Amino acid sequence: MLHSLLILAALAWPALAAAAVPGAVVTTPQVRAELVAHAPEGVAAGKPAWLGLKIEHQPHWHTYWKNPGDSGLPTTLTWTLPAGVDVSDIEWPAPSRLPIGPLMNYGYEGTLLLPVALTVPAGFAAATLEVKLHAEWLVCKEVCIPESGDFALTLPAQATTASDAALFAAARAAMPRPLAASATAELKGGSLVLVVDGLPSTWQGRELVVFPETGGVIQHAIPPQSRWDGGRWQTTLQIDPQRSASPAHLPVVLSLPKGEGSVALMAAVAGNWPAVVAPPPLPALGEAPAATATPAAAPFSLGWALLLALAGGALLNLMPCVFPVLSLKVLALVSHGAHRRALLTSGLAYAIGVVASFVALAALLLVLRAGGEQLGWGFQLQSPAVLAVLASLFTLIGLNLAGVFELGSVLPSSWAAARARHPLVDSLLTGVLAVAVASPCTAPFMGASLGLAVTLPAPRALAVFAALGLGMALPMLAASAWPGLARALPRPGVWMAHFRTLMAFPMFATVVWLVWVLGQQSGIDGAAALLALLLALAFAAWALGSPALGRRARGGFGAAAVLLMAAALFCAVPALRHEATAAAAPAAGQRWQAWSAERVAQALAEGRPVFVDFTAAWCVTCQINKRALGDRAVLADFDARRVLLLRADWTRRDAAIAAELARLGRSGVPVYALYTPGAAAPLVLSEILGVDDLRTAIAAAPV
Amino acid sequence: MKQLLIATTLALAAAGALAAASVGQPAPAFTALDTAGKTVSLADFRGKHVVLEWVNPGCPFVQKHYNSANMQGTQKDAAAKGVVWLAVNSTSTDASDYKSPAAMAQWMQGQKAAASATLMDADGKLGRAYGARTTPHMYIIDPAGLLVYAGGIDNKATSNSADIATATNHVKVALTEALAGKTLSTPVTRPYGCSIKYSSGA
Repeated sequence: MLHSLLILAALAWPALAAAAVPGAVVTTPQVRAELVAHAPEGVAAGKPAWLGLKIEHQPHWHTYWKNPGDSGLPTTLTWTLPAGVDVSDIEWPAPSRLPIGPLMNYGYEGTLLLPVALTVPAGFAAATLEVKLHAEWLVCKEVCIPESGDFALTLPAQATTASDAALFAAARAAMPRPLAASATAELKGGSLVLVVDGLPSTWQGRELVVFPETGGVIQHAIPPQSRWDGGRWQTTLQIDPQRSASPAHLPVVLSLPKGEGSVALMAAVAGNWPAVVAPPPLPALGEAPAATATPAAAPFSLGWALLLALAGGALLNLMPCVFPVLSLKVLALVSHGAHRRALLTSGLAYAIGVVASFVALAALLLVLRAGGEQLGWGFQLQSPAVLAVLASLFTLIGLNLAGVFELGSVLPSSWAAARARHPLVDSLLTGVLAVAVASPCTAPFMGASLGLAVTLPAPRALAVFAALGLGMALPMLAASAWPGLARALPRPGVWMAHFRTLMAFPMFATVVWLVWVLGQQSGIDGAAALLALLLALAFAAWALGSPALGRRARGGFGAAAVLLMAAALFCAVPALRHEATAAAAPAAGQRWQAWSAERVAQALAEGRPVFVDFTAAWCVTCQINKRALGDRAVLADFDARRVLLLRADWTRRDAAIAAELARLGRSGVPVYALYTPGAAAPLVLSEILGVDDLRTAIAAAPV
Repeated sequence: MKQLLIATTLALAAAGALAAASVGQPAPAFTALDTAGKTVSLADFRGKHVVLEWVNPGCPFVQKHYNSANMQGTQKDAAAKGVVWLAVNSTSTDASDYKSPAAMAQWMQGQKAAASATLMDADGKLGRAYGARTTPHMYIIDPAGLLVYAGGIDNKATSNSADIATATNHVKVALTEALAGKTLSTPVTRPYGCSIKYSSGA
């Protein structure tokens, strides 16, 4: 209520003030403002003369400095003077820090004079000087009230005006003295280190308050960390993450507490301002470039995304990391022989397994995303624990296929029987397994679909993932449904035993790959620990599961195997947890440098195009594409255009890379982006890199 | 360096941790209640542009943009383009110009505001996460959840509504650029207005 009254009064005031003939004084409930002058030798050319607005604040009310800090507005003075008569800008007295909650303002309480220097032309001969002033100020306590006033004053030219001499003298004393000190402001990460030499010797060792005159650069509310180093004073200011200016010079006011004195100086900024990265545009993912973001366009783009997801899923079958599992499935299909019904149901179960796994993984991804985790597709293989478990699983499958142990003798007989009696469950699990391995290989189209999916509301995102799964299961489903395709498969025979053994090798190859990926994350010790664990596992599988062993031998070896496993786990787990420190450095090589958003911005600012390889050790497609990237002609083209080559290695979790991928509309690797200076958005290349495509893209970049 | 980090952390804690979000980075996720008591999460709007507007009916700068219908016009403009608009009131319950959810809803309705929802953030968590300082203070989040704009509603930092006619509306410009697939020409500006009256707790 009081507040409303205040506003009402404030709104009414200028109207009242305007109605009356302006005088030298304007009074509001918050301030008394008066236009004052100081001309001790009269008003004439070359004689000192000052004008000023005196503001007396009610207790706890304040107005603002030239840089008001986190909120507020500086007071403005608009003068109306006879031709030739001029005034300077406001000579601001040093302000005070006025904290309000987590925010900081710079301003004044109590009595304030905002002086301006008055100059009249050489031939000034009038008997009086008519001064008119329109002033606007924002006065705040807890609430803020914008106020304004119109003032008029007549100064005698020949007589002394000095009734406010003390006030002007005090204002001059409170004005920061310009100091030709040597001052630098060095940019170090997120902070600005201000170093000042040549401050008054009497100031040494004293606590100083720093006021930056430029707003929107530093975080005013964070108290600067200051110290004296002999005659040199140093303070660390925190840069505002929402910085709106990047000045080459930072004017600051340094002041002793309680108005004991202040200086104004200019600090030269050294170093580069961290980029306030304007992300490339992201109008709407998976949408045709010409389409606008109208709600009507949404269903079309979803249908398109589903279609792309279906195609991407089907292509996934051709990816290197899916093949071993696909071969497993072929084995299972053959065992069903010519029973069409069994084939079809088995194919359907496989499809359900694939789709369900995709949806489950997507749901998990969405849950994690909602939790604010900067994760992307493929995050499963960014964890050493997941890698170790997968490697163990594939080792066991390989050993089983190679005949080292039989499943029936490891699993309880009822389980084995259940498997045999329910081939559907077997098919379902094969589907699940296929997804677990295939997920990191983002096929063409899949990247865009995934990028869209993670930005969509949950039900739609799940639909996209389901389509992806269906696409992946499609070839298998077709083979099981189409009698012709099923009949084209070879008849069962002795060759199956050989085939089974043969299939062990792709499994072990997969293990080799998983160990290599883990080596990227946990170093050579981690890889060795995993190999030791796998050896113990193999021994245990043989000891407990080999049909060739007798009961007594199995008991003895089995006990030893259990102990060995326990020892291996005990030793391996810490090594697996250990993160390799410099694993990525040698891989980056000399030509390729480590990616950072700042490096991209910096190179673009220098006019250099930038090519970024978003990659990960666990991404097989990425490794294949490295061949195109290493092509001599491609490298020569890169050199000719002075393209900066950066590699963003996503083998381990990295929030910055995940954010950049999101910006490009992707959530997985590989992604290849060519940034060119002046272009609105980077060019994102195909996920299966061809030498010709690459050279065409590079040729289009400016020289 | 480590000492500096510790000092910074302490300083942040002392300042009540106004952990400002950065433009170009993922926008801080949030879940808040609107004036009707309905839960609203940023995650609900993935795939769309989202505007956040810090508002306090008691602030003269907010009144400047509402009494002139400038803010409502910007809201309608955004709504026509399929952009989600969330007004946020971070005024503490013990501030003299605090409005209850019902009073806030009534005020917005009376102003014919076209915000998608008005969020009540009396504990200031949302405001602090974004580093919101003033009313108004404007933010734009892109469909991938990245913060693409932070700053003022326009470039004329005054309380005079006559200045709106000649001012550049930063939010309109930014939304036009973003929806046209262009990089924002001005991703950060200096906001102006009243201090947000944050609760002393939290």
